[in-house]
Amino acid sequence: MSVAAKFSQIGKPLPRREDRRFLLGKGRYLDDIVPPGVAQVCFLRAPHAHARIVGIDSTAACALPGVIGVFTGRDLAEWTTPLRLAPPIEGLHPVEMTTLPIDKVRFHGDPVAVVVARDRYVAEDAVDLIEVAYEPLPCVADTASALAPGAARVDESLPDNLVSHQSFSAGDLAARRAEAARVIETTFDLQRHTHVPLETRGCMADWDEGREHLTMQIGTQVPHPLRGQLAGRLGLSESQVTVISPDVGGAFGQKIALYREELAVAALSRHLGQPLHWREDRAENLMAASHARETRCVTRAAVRGDGRILGLELELVEDFGAYCFYPANYMARVIAMILTGPYRIADYSFDVKVVLTNKCGNGPMRAPMAITSWVMDGTLDAVARELGLDAVEVRRINALGPGDLPYTMATGEVLADITSRETLEGAVSAIDISAFRARQARARDEGRLVGLGLCTVVESTTYGSQFYKAAGIPGSGHEAAWVRIEPSGAVNASVGLMGTGQGYETPLAQAVAEGLGVSAETVTVHMGHTDIAPYGMGSRGARGATAGGGTLYLCARKAQEKVLAIAAGMLSLNDARGLRLRDGHVERRLDDDWQPTGLGLKDIAQRAYLDPTALPDKVAPGLDVSLTYDPPPMTYSNATHACEVEIDKFTGRIDIRRYLVAEDCGTVINPLVVEGQQHGAVAMGLSGALFEQVIYDETGQNLSATLADYLVATATELPKVEIIPMHTPNRSTPAGIKGMAEGGIMGAIGVIANAVNDALAPLGVTATRMPLSPQYIRALVREADENQERTGEA
Amino acid sequence: MTAPVTLSLAVNGAVHEVTVPPRKLLSDVLREDLGLTGTHVGCEHGVCGACTILIDGQPARACLTFAVQMEGHDLTTIEAVSEGDRLSPLQQALHQVHGLQCGFCTPGIIMTVTAYLRDHPDPDEVEIRDLLSGNLCRCTGYQNIVKAVIRAAAEIRARAPA
Repeated sequence: MSVAAKFSQIGKPLPRREDRRFLLGKGRYLDDIVPPGVAQVCFLRAPHAHARIVGIDSTAACALPGVIGVFTGRDLAEWTTPLRLAPPIEGLHPVEMTTLPIDKVRFHGDPVAVVVARDRYVAEDAVDLIEVAYEPLPCVADTASALAPGAARVDESLPDNLVSHQSFSAGDLAARRAEAARVIETTFDLQRHTHVPLETRGCMADWDEGREHLTMQIGTQVPHPLRGQLAGRLGLSESQVTVISPDVGGAFGQKIALYREELAVAALSRHLGQPLHWREDRAENLMAASHARETRCVTRAAVRGDGRILGLELELVEDFGAYCFYPANYMARVIAMILTGPYRIADYSFDVKVVLTNKCGNGPMRAPMAITSWVMDGTLDAVARELGLDAVEVRRINALGPGDLPYTMATGEVLADITSRETLEGAVSAIDISAFRARQARARDEGRLVGLGLCTVVESTTYGSQFYKAAGIPGSGHEAAWVRIEPSGAVNASVGLMGTGQGYETPLAQAVAEGLGVSAETVTVHMGHTDIAPYGMGSRGARGATAGGGTLYLCARKAQEKVLAIAAGMLSLNDARGLRLRDGHVERRLDDDWQPTGLGLKDIAQRAYLDPTALPDKVAPGLDVSLTYDPPPMTYSNATHACEVEIDKFTGRIDIRRYLVAEDCGTVINPLVVEGQQHGAVAMGLSGALFEQVIYDETGQNLSATLADYLVATATELPKVEIIPMHTPNRSTPAGIKGMAEGGIMGAIGVIANAVNDALAPLGVTATRMPLSPQYIRALVREADENQERTGEA
Repeated sequence: MTAPVTLSLAVNGAVHEVTVPPRKLLSDVLREDLGLTGTHVGCEHGVCGACTILIDGQPARACLTFAVQMEGHDLTTIEAVSEGDRLSPLQQALHQVHGLQCGFCTPGIIMTVTAYLRDHPDPDEVEIRDLLSGNLCRCTGYQNIVKAVIRAAAEIRARAPA
């Protein structure tokens, strides 16, 4: 089923336009555009996880030649307002934070003071000369100690560390338990991650005293929301702030919030009346930018003897760290809302706790709901294991089929236009499970640990405003675009998104080209400048294609209507019926054929701009069209991942023998770019599942502040990913687009765990936490050996 | 200790005289004093590989090298890989098979692979993955980079005189 057939520009695997500058070393990332001589900013960071700031002595630092000034939280509080998050959500405490800490530090790496100096080297020297007197406080380094009675409070304005607590129940869980053959409890512990964009955070703020205007150059996913934050906290109007995002070396969710360092740099530029540049180093990025995940889930599935789940209960606890840059329920809530995904489960309850601890604050990381599919498919695998059933059959008996759609989940979320049953069968057939089982049996006879995993993902890609409202999460999901055909016929367009490496410049040009009726090569899409782009919600989740591409496509269609109305006048026709723009030429339908009219886009543009009195009645001059669009409450993609592993029981190494993904992400705008996102998402998921871990010791010291400690997968650890495209269009979105790019992480985390547990099954042990490091696998093997010895002795 | 010293650096076939503090990293001197911003800095501790350049033809981390160590050495950066605007076979292959996304790690990868292909014209996939293991890429999952290297090697072999 080809969904691209009716398109001429959408669906082409065009290589990316931005590649040329990157390949030549001529990209313009932030540090590449800082003029010589701009003063540099560096932050002093707390060595304690939790401590009162008793005094700060910056005398020696200020005396160092080249130092322009040293500033503290008290100074910044005079020039900025605190961040207050108080959305009216039941169970969520309001919180507030100052621009820099004033009275106490809350985690190892918390910024305590800021130096402005002639260059970065001098700034770092000065940081070392600042004397801070601390009075250490008891710290809470995990959720259990944070929730214990009498625990030290991370935020002393709150009654305790439970910053958000929400629960929900649909159906009758007690009755389902009573009917069930078994209630199977399973635990899933996803460790603390961090994003590790290759380019760390940074910004250059330039306050123009004459115009009273701030220009903030910063790699950001969300230029307009960031501008609003900056203006609000500096006491400026949005007209006084311009946010410009240059090329960005990756973000993965880390470049959404307005961070305290960035606000401090902007405030200091205004205070000092000079441009300032800040670039965090890698240690700061790993310790203090933003962390993610660290979520523990427990499920209790009430099941029939055949594996059918009658009722499902979820308990979720997220370790949110010390500061809330987002409402604390933001990520966890989505996990709970969409957990049941591809399965038919009407009786469902959740209890979601979000806990403050003395760690770097959490934020969304590519697939904020990453744990979801592991929890759901891992629960099904536990059911299969406990009941001695086939894991594929347990999925089939619980799966939503085409006949169940549209399906209203227990949480009220509506699934439509998904093909999770089809991708499950697609993956099962492609990986040839029966052949695998035969190989596995032989391997097991030889004492080798070989396993196969499956994981079906229903990925929430594009959040419409109605979802936010219904879910009790603050936010809007709309997007905005303009399309301008210039007098020469050149096409400029803009949208509120900002790419951070995905390659928007090409597929978004294709979306415009499709809607307008020109070739993609003639379209330029401008992003990342708040005075040029329309106010949109930026890039987050997987909304780029559906919200961004969709809005541009609709806007371009509207532009085509105007072009054709003018063309009709030029052709002496009453209206534009029977006309179309194709490859920049106006065509007219005669009988069953499209015939050229001799008019091109440039002719129309010349008329629109330079001869407006000749335009038809009610057609205004110019070709400048704008449009806003709010996508459906939620758009879903789906996929099934399958992978085969072999575990070396002596070293704990996991060898991924085969990895495939059967995916339906709707209409694909550019298959090359989509493939890149599929590979990248799977890679990030596997890297997280196998290696990455932010480590804090019990005193809250961060032990993973270098890339030699925080391990990211390299080319030798990652498999070749086979993609099976099974795309079907969404009937409610522009051009049938569904969006993608996060589901690969959800699937990778789930499928690798499921494969590892299948491999470990003969040993009678189960992996319940990540990373699935060699150390952890070895610990499980040792546990199995000890169990066997005990059984042997008994 | 930090008094600037004057030294001459041979970069991309031209000699530059710079006056910099002895502690200034080569990566910073290339970027800030010579304006060669194609060499990126990702970690400043030698793990990520984004700052890889060629020192006397061999890949090296510019972030682990002081500029003052480089007198008498021949340096090559990403800016010298293409012939003017014409992409090298590796650059062209990376473009064609989508072997880059955010582009931040790309110059370091190009330098690493360019040097390798000069001496190893026909690498297999295992060899290429091993070669790339010193360069982190957070976007691509490496698959299309591997594909691009295979394609570039074939192109270079095809172009070489028999």
